[in-house]
Amino acid sequence: MLRQLAVTFVFALAASGQAQSTRPARTADGKPNLNGIWQALNTANWDLEGHAAQPGQVVAMGAIGATPPGLSVVESGKIPYLPAAAAKKKENYANRVKLDPEVKCYLPGVPRATYMPFPFQIVQSQKRIMIAYQYAGAERIINMGAPTKAPDLFWMGWSNGHWEGDTLVVDVASQNDQTWFDRAGDFHSDALHVVERYTPITADALMYEATIDDPKTFSRPWKISMPLYRHLENNAQLLEFKCVEFVEELIYGHLRKKPAQ
Amino acid sequence: MKTSWLSCLMLVLAACVFAADEGHWAVPRTPDGQPDLQGTWSNATNRPFERPKQLGAKEFYTEQEAAELAKKGFIGDRGGPQEVHYDFSQYGMDANQARFAPNLRTSIVVGPEGRVPPMIPEAMKRNADLAAKAKGHDLDGPENRGLTERCLIYGQQEGPPMLPPMYNFNMEIVEEPGYVAILNEMYHDVRLIPLDGSPHLAEDIRQWRGDSRGHWEGDTLVVDTTNFTDKTRFRGSSEHLHVVERFTRTTPKTILYQFTVDDPHTWAKPWSGELVMGPSNGEIYEFACHEGNYGMMDNLSGARAEERRAAEANQK
Repeated sequence: MLRQLAVTFVFALAASGQAQSTRPARTADGKPNLNGIWQALNTANWDLEGHAAQPGQVVAMGAIGATPPGLSVVESGKIPYLPAAAAKKKENYANRVKLDPEVKCYLPGVPRATYMPFPFQIVQSQKRIMIAYQYAGAERIINMGAPTKAPDLFWMGWSNGHWEGDTLVVDVASQNDQTWFDRAGDFHSDALHVVERYTPITADALMYEATIDDPKTFSRPWKISMPLYRHLENNAQLLEFKCVEFVEELIYGHLRKKPAQ
Repeated sequence: MKTSWLSCLMLVLAACVFAADEGHWAVPRTPDGQPDLQGTWSNATNRPFERPKQLGAKEFYTEQEAAELAKKGFIGDRGGPQEVHYDFSQYGMDANQARFAPNLRTSIVVGPEGRVPPMIPEAMKRNADLAAKAKGHDLDGPENRGLTERCLIYGQQEGPPMLPPMYNFNMEIVEEPGYVAILNEMYHDVRLIPLDGSPHLAEDIRQWRGDSRGHWEGDTLVVDTTNFTDKTRFRGSSEHLHVVERFTRTTPKTILYQFTVDDPHTWAKPWSGELVMGPSNGEIYEFACHEGNYGMMDNLSGARAEERRAAEANQK
């Protein structure tokens, strides 16, 4: 009873001033506290490489559908495609409205899930870290115990994590070849292997790095990096973006009894 | 002096023993002191949702009756469409192969009736109107298919309240000081339940699975959910559906899951149910429902092919 009272008192102290930014820097088991709602603030999801603004693909959307400009998040600037893959990327780009899996509300894979234009939430416990993404209900569990193997290829892969000092290192294996890295047609094979690093740089920002390794598609491993910013509004919350409903006409419209005019 | 020190110690020891005896085994705590509900859990149950009529007011089987029933195999409900061409021994749909946590109840719905109360006239009309509109159109387009087939949510089971789907009865619970997260394998959906006492979303924001807020009452997690859409329609409910769930870890390998449902626009009184969750057999797998939705493609194109065939036959 006394112990319960003591715990409640400590918890009440910690809970007072519940603005997201007053989270303790470390969890009760001494690890960097990554709990919270985060979001990337860049145009990586449009194009990982540096890009000037471009007109949109749908005339009626006007400026809303246009590609915003952005600097490269790829450390060497350009993605080192093998020659055949470089040709495929060009073809992807030319047909991106038809081919980008994001258009159909498909799961984004890793690392794209991290820099989608939606928040995501980290729920961190000792043995398991869950990341829930607002986009399409994408989620993954990072196993922090002894590494395990995926039973099959998944859209979101299979994640095993460990701490290196204050950096969360996540090894993501077993992704299928169906996802793209961005809306510009950057793609990969099922040989993709990603290693992510999440490092706190301030109380409210992480540095996110991801090393991409896929010998079927790229001539060498390459790396992206970007800050992830904490949502500081007091009532920050992931809301549902169940986009499956929004793409039914696109995917199944031609099979309607009475197709839309 | 020595004697009183000893009796003081005895009192403390006695208090410890008494506290341990009182009720039950002590729930383990997370490092920050919250009751630990974490792990992968299965809500597969060998009990039907509503009590079989012949059992009347009988809420519990005896241990012996339950053991006899277990020999008969699966006596619960099969969530999901019944007129399917699946081989139920495949895809984990053979409920006889599922493992069930021990549970002496005769049904999920509790109380003397063990059945969902009748709908109020307003709800009967609302649902009858919906059914009349849908009749004869069930293959017209994607919106005419059920939520489950559309891969929007696993209809009627994903909840809250969370009820066992036809297969993959798995969920994972992860806790941090400010939130409890529940990942339902069907359909890869995470419930993020804040524990900070914040109010529900504004009335005009509705969600398929509502908006959940939680708090601890002793060792029990209490979760209050409102703000459902009018398309969720749990058992014919309206958007005024309100669900309260309670999660209590009763043994190292069981969580008692209790829920109360109320919707004054659907039922005259609230009703409650409970089931016992046991450990899941391994990890949560990815259920990429929408990405692999050949069912929708095949059902709609099959219906269009049937219509073309019928039209051609008529022309002859």
